[in-house]
Amino acid sequence: MDTSQLLKGVLDLAVLAVLRDGDGYGYDVLRRLRQAGLEDVADASVYGTLRRLFQAGALTSYVQPSEEGPHRKYYGLNKTGRDLLAQSTKTWNHFADTMSVLLVEKEAA
Amino acid sequence: MNSTVTGAVAIYLAQVRAELSDLPSGELEDVLEDVSGHLTEVAAEFEAEPTTEALQERLGTPREYAAELRTAAGYPPRTQPVADRDAARKALRWGLVAATAGPFLVAIGIFYWSHDETVFFGVLGFAVLFLAAYLGVRALRDNDPRIVLEDPRGRRGAEAVRGLVDQIPPNVRSELVTIGQPVWWVARGAIGGGGFFALFGAGAVAVVGAVAGAAVSIWIGRRTQQDRRWLWYVVPLNIVAAVAVPAFLSAAYMGASFGFLNDYGDYSSSSSYTPDGLVLNGTPVSNIYPFDAQGKQVSVRLYDQEGNPIALRLEDCEASYGRTDRDSTSNVVPHRVITGDESGNFGEEPNCRDTDKAPFVPPPAPATATPAPTPTGTPSASASSTPTGTTPTPTPAPGTTPRPAVTLTVQPTR
Repeated sequence: MDTSQLLKGVLDLAVLAVLRDGDGYGYDVLRRLRQAGLEDVADASVYGTLRRLFQAGALTSYVQPSEEGPHRKYYGLNKTGRDLLAQSTKTWNHFADTMSVLLVEKEAA
Repeated sequence: MNSTVTGAVAIYLAQVRAELSDLPSGELEDVLEDVSGHLTEVAAEFEAEPTTEALQERLGTPREYAAELRTAAGYPPRTQPVADRDAARKALRWGLVAATAGPFLVAIGIFYWSHDETVFFGVLGFAVLFLAAYLGVRALRDNDPRIVLEDPRGRRGAEAVRGLVDQIPPNVRSELVTIGQPVWWVARGAIGGGGFFALFGAGAVAVVGAVAGAAVSIWIGRRTQQDRRWLWYVVPLNIVAAVAVPAFLSAAYMGASFGFLNDYGDYSSSSSYTPDGLVLNGTPVSNIYPFDAQGKQVSVRLYDQEGNPIALRLEDCEASYGRTDRDSTSNVVPHRVITGDESGNFGEEPNCRDTDKAPFVPPPAPATATPAPTPTGTPSASASSTPTGTTPTPTPAPGTTPRPAVTLTVQPTR
């Protein structure tokens, strides 16, 4: 099964989770997602997700100079973002549990 | 951030921008800031600066990248077709031709001394300007004029201009817009309208032309703010005005004569042109040889009916090679004129020779010195005694007979 299809549904949650550990700029978020094991994540979709969450008011954004050169735009969770993460985590866990039970029962049957 | 990208990254970024150009400008700038950072980081993954192909292999085509971004960000799907890059390139190119070649030719015309060249280069310059501008607007087809900013070259140009504008302090900038712009609109229109009529010799209506030009200029300025396609005409015309307005002002201030500001009444292009000096039947009279009743050449001073001296230009040796401090004309005739030697050569100074001797032999004086208003036939004895019936031919007396076909006109000699 193609994980990129699954990712589309949960990319919001994954990005929020990564940002819970600390603010990050786009490429940094992308790298952390890959390190966490989501290798199939598409670069552009991560940037698009960041924009959508920002537009939805779940993220703050600020520019910080970097040692290497250009300024970087950092994103971080605000209260709305943390609430959204908590709610989405619940939804996901419930969904994952349901799926697990479903799949286990199917195998057992 | 965007300004630091170069090469393949800049091209890729410009193409993504074109794909997303339907986004609200604020969001577009924000997301492209992220994309620019992303592309910079990705480019840094390569050992050398990546090629366009390498970037596409890593990230997909700009179109795919933009589509992915659009979906993930929840932007509405694109409704209008993506800017035609070819159209942008062509429109930009014609715009540049209109803004350079046209004003260049017009500038040549403005600074040319003579009227004919001014008209020639002026008309040619404006023809090039309007043709190129027209082709530029046509190349746009139905695209938004802003697509030229998505062309890499147009984008660099816009950034360069923005960089220059940023050099101006903000308060000066706002004053330039609120005060400078209307003043500029009026100035360019007035000088354009006035100059047009002055150029074609209608100096009297140049003031009306200036007022009308200012009005048209303001109208064009407001139109251009609504329809950016007018920029293809307005920018080159502004460049022309940027040359013409200072030229006009400095000429007016210093009294210098540029080609288009000269007094065209002096030029032979006018149909009512008449040469200066004394004219007999349209032919200039350069010298007058008076003879008295006995056929002897005399020297006289000439005056017209008003008592003005009828002065002729001096063309003797002194005038040609010598003094310059005396009057160049004199009403004492005959003048001495330079004469050639036996072999017809005209001697150079100091061998120059001149003479006031008439270069012709006058016809014999009439038998009677009485000024008779009517031609007097003098039938000879032989005529009356000849029975052949030949009509005696009246001999007109030269000098006393009015010749109605002759007109003598005097123009004041300068």
